[in-house]
Amino acid sequence: MEVLKTEALTKIYGEGESKVTALDNANLSVRQGEFAAIVGTSGSGKSTLLHMLGGLDRPTSGKVYVEGKDIFTLKDEALTIFRRRKIGFVFQSFNLVPTLNVYENIVFPIQLDGNDVDDKFVNEVIGTLGLADMQNRLPNQLSGGQQQRAAIARALATKPAIILADEPTGNLDSKTSQDVLSLLKVTGQKFSQTIVMITHNEAIAQMTDRIIRIEDGHIIKGGEPND
Amino acid sequence: MMFTDKKLLARLDKMLEDGINGTFSESDYDETQISKLESKWLRYLTSSKLSAQKTEQEREKLQELVSDISHQTKTPLSNILLYTQLLQEQDIDRQSRQLVDEIRQQSEKLEFLIRSLVKTSRLETGTFQLAPLENNIDRVIESVIEQVTPKADSKQIQIRYSPESYTAKFDIKWTQEALFNILDNAVKYSPRNSVIKITVDAYEMFACVSVADQGIGIPAEELPCIFRRFYRGQNVRKQNGVGIGLYLSRQIIEGQGGYITAESTPEQGSVFKMFLPR
Repeated sequence: MEVLKTEALTKIYGEGESKVTALDNANLSVRQGEFAAIVGTSGSGKSTLLHMLGGLDRPTSGKVYVEGKDIFTLKDEALTIFRRRKIGFVFQSFNLVPTLNVYENIVFPIQLDGNDVDDKFVNEVIGTLGLADMQNRLPNQLSGGQQQRAAIARALATKPAIILADEPTGNLDSKTSQDVLSLLKVTGQKFSQTIVMITHNEAIAQMTDRIIRIEDGHIIKGGEPND
Repeated sequence: MMFTDKKLLARLDKMLEDGINGTFSESDYDETQISKLESKWLRYLTSSKLSAQKTEQEREKLQELVSDISHQTKTPLSNILLYTQLLQEQDIDRQSRQLVDEIRQQSEKLEFLIRSLVKTSRLETGTFQLAPLENNIDRVIESVIEQVTPKADSKQIQIRYSPESYTAKFDIKWTQEALFNILDNAVKYSPRNSVIKITVDAYEMFACVSVADQGIGIPAEELPCIFRRFYRGQNVRKQNGVGIGLYLSRQIIEGQGGYITAESTPEQGSVFKMFLPR
């Protein structure tokens, strides 16, 4: 089943002389349960693409469908709620709330939406990510890798349609990176979670099911699922 | 009015919640809209549950069929192999010997295929369960190296490994099977007089066993396919094989909460990595 689709997605910044086409006619399709990497050098348009997939930025033209819904027909407020329910974000800089402990950080988006916490599921996520013993710690009492694991748990906890990860290991040493990526991969498998990850690192991209290559705003390879 | 709306929404929310948890039952039967809605909701829940059950049953039937076929063919096949070997010991002419050799090769291939099918079907039907426990990784690696050494020696392939004493959580027997398939492939696709290197790395959450060979490598476009059932690479059609080993390896490793990756540079070799949870 197709979870995510873009149609002729285009983003142009500026006008006239200073016009920059950051993304040009990008067509992309991602299936339920896939772990896909978007690879490109800096300035290739990969962050622009990810921001639009997550509804963080509106395109100049073209469409993004999440679970069949054309997300940019939504008004800003509806789009915010949509994002909270359907998209899990994992950023390079973890973005945990410093005054909340690990458990509170993880269930925060669920409570923000006014829902009861599915304890069984959340505990399973916490266990899988090896956070069971550090649930009561504050983010600054954790290593970088542990903080990113908490951020992944937070993204998984709301059972989103897609997890979007923007250079999730950008701030981690290579050994810790390996661990965090392994967990992304294994949790994706276990919870059949669709994950789209941005990276400039080829070796990291090799671990995913599919590599989507982007150059100068064009998707040059991997826009469609493998078979 | 506001109050009843709120009450109605709360009741609908409860209906959905119970439906999700599989505990929904009709509260009352009367002429109200909500009672009709409850009946309809239950009908919907029942029909979607039935169709899920039906799919599950069909899946089970199919798996049973595969497992029956594999079991029933095992004995006659062993007999064919036995008679072939007996025939090879007879005093026969050169041409007949060639034919017998060919029969033996094909029978061995079929035997491997069926053995692997039995194993995958047992894993899939849950006849065999993986029992991951804290174990020393060296033990598995050393025993697998021992298994492939005769084959490696016959091609003068050197297998290098220095024990690291790392532990991880895995099922010894099945993980041996998974690693054997990977190492056996490495030996099969390596040239004579080459080196296969096995290394173990440990991280906070995972341990990684890598097997690096100096073989023919795997073209980039084939890498995503190699773990599929019955997939065979374009360049390896000449080699004996049925395309089930790596599939089985992946089933085993993923079944215990790990994963497998493959990287490759054509003409320089491939690296298979097996990640096991710690």
